[in-house]
Amino acid sequence: MRPLEQTQREFFAALQMPLRGRSRNSTDLAPSVEGHSPEFLAKAESLMKAGSNLLPAEQLELYHRQYWFRLLDSIAEDFPTLRKIAGEGTFWALMEAYVCACPSASFTLRHLGRRLADFTAEWEEIDATRRRWFAALARLEYAHMEIFEAAEWEAVPPEQLASVELGLQPHVVLLELPVPADLCMDWDKFMPEAEALTHLAVWRNESGNSAQCRIDPIEFVLLSRLRQGSSLAALFAEPTAREPSPEEVAGWFANWQNRRWIALAPTAETENFPVVSQRSGGDIDWSRVDKMGSQARAMED
Amino acid sequence: MSASRFTGGVELATGIGLRSPHYRHILSEKPTVDWFEIISENYMVEGGRPLEVLDMILEQYRVVQHGVGLYPGNCDGIDRDHLKRLKRLVKRTKTPWISDHLCWGSIDGSMSHDLLPIPFTFEAARKTAANLRMVQDFLEVPLAMENVSSYGEFNDSEMTEWEFLAEVCELADVGILLDVNNIYVSSINNVFEPLDYVNFVPPERVAQIHIAGHSRYERFIVDTHDHPVVDPVWKLYERAIERCGPVATLLEWDGRIPSFDEVWTEARKSETWRESALAKKGTDAAA
Repeated sequence: MRPLEQTQREFFAALQMPLRGRSRNSTDLAPSVEGHSPEFLAKAESLMKAGSNLLPAEQLELYHRQYWFRLLDSIAEDFPTLRKIAGEGTFWALMEAYVCACPSASFTLRHLGRRLADFTAEWEEIDATRRRWFAALARLEYAHMEIFEAAEWEAVPPEQLASVELGLQPHVVLLELPVPADLCMDWDKFMPEAEALTHLAVWRNESGNSAQCRIDPIEFVLLSRLRQGSSLAALFAEPTAREPSPEEVAGWFANWQNRRWIALAPTAETENFPVVSQRSGGDIDWSRVDKMGSQARAMED
Repeated sequence: MSASRFTGGVELATGIGLRSPHYRHILSEKPTVDWFEIISENYMVEGGRPLEVLDMILEQYRVVQHGVGLYPGNCDGIDRDHLKRLKRLVKRTKTPWISDHLCWGSIDGSMSHDLLPIPFTFEAARKTAANLRMVQDFLEVPLAMENVSSYGEFNDSEMTEWEFLAEVCELADVGILLDVNNIYVSSINNVFEPLDYVNFVPPERVAQIHIAGHSRYERFIVDTHDHPVVDPVWKLYERAIERCGPVATLLEWDGRIPSFDEVWTEARKSETWRESALAKKGTDAAA
């Protein structure tokens, strides 16, 4: 009898093997007529007991296909614009390569795409231009996922701005992208424009929906300092590449405050019980809450 | 309803799984439901929509936490960060007990996000029980383990699934969440008599029962939670109640989710089966 650890390592290795045959053809991955690899069949014979109903390979395959179905369904849901821009063939080839190279490392499938931007930037199956655009778009779409569940701190009242340590709301994500990937949201297909360093903020607005806007490069630097925690005076202590005008700074601060971006870091006590703004239940889209479940996906026999 | 040390002394009747298509109805119509079960992992976050809706539900309803990612059968132990997140959620929900699955699911930090079967060996039972003891000590709330649907059996198994469930729960001194649909699914896939399973489970440990629907294929069943409960599962439920008493019962419906009213009507069918089971039990006791 093999030790538990060996059983689990062999079983998990089988799950991670590429989908083949009918299971593969039940997904959007490029179809294949190949059956199971000899390695998969050997693992199945070694691990699973032949039953009167299901052969060892059939038993292992029921787990194998559910592993892939669950991950592919989830990640496709999280990167709809990348899917549209990359096109079906490229998107699914990228997802298969990504899931093979970067298995989930979190308790929730919401984090499955965490490494997709970095992986895409190095994926050699597409040209360098597409790598830059697709990686930037993956980073942007993942930011929308991050802010969905990020904490919300108390906003700083205007009268306290000069007297307390300031922080940036955790649900504000700052992005410095090599291309204007936000334009992709309006495209029907990949049509790259001039590449330019682009600064974006993605955040959760007062109604709980995700929002994004472009920000000035200096604004990006100041908000990055705010993220580290800073007094108002220290925010401007170090020089920036360009000296912003007082009107610019006043405009930025007004926006940040209107959007509740300037916040007080929580005390140890409140950190254990995150603040949640109560909002009306009217037209809120709750659909992304249920990312995890115990059910299997229906399938072809 | 029965109260035991595995439910924290709390008695609950019929509940349903809290799912996002029903949030709006629940928040606006405030239907009378004894309790909701939540999937812990959907709310183990720092903020945003998940905690927002949870807080609104908690203002009006009792919530019991049910997890899908504890993986007590993992050979490399329990993830401490996962436990810390879970405990923080326990403080928020004040769940009377917490449940998860008797399974494994990750190795070296790579997650399957599935409820993978444990080989029914004495080594696995000892390791799983040791993990569960640590979890229960850390969470400080009664813990119940659910039997999973399975699609195969290991060559290495040294006992039946029901013997393994009982062995682990006795060794760890935890409760059982008996999923009678999972028993039925596994009994078809692995070919055994499902009543043998129900009749073996230590009734005093059963804190909760799950019922659900499934998808039947030519040679196997998949636990899809996307249909009404079938009669053979109701019969297993009736027998389980006969043995365990009026245990808290929850309907899971996770795929092709119908209206709230349809799900709730299906869940309430359990009350008829429960009454008939308790009547049988009373008759048997009198005889």
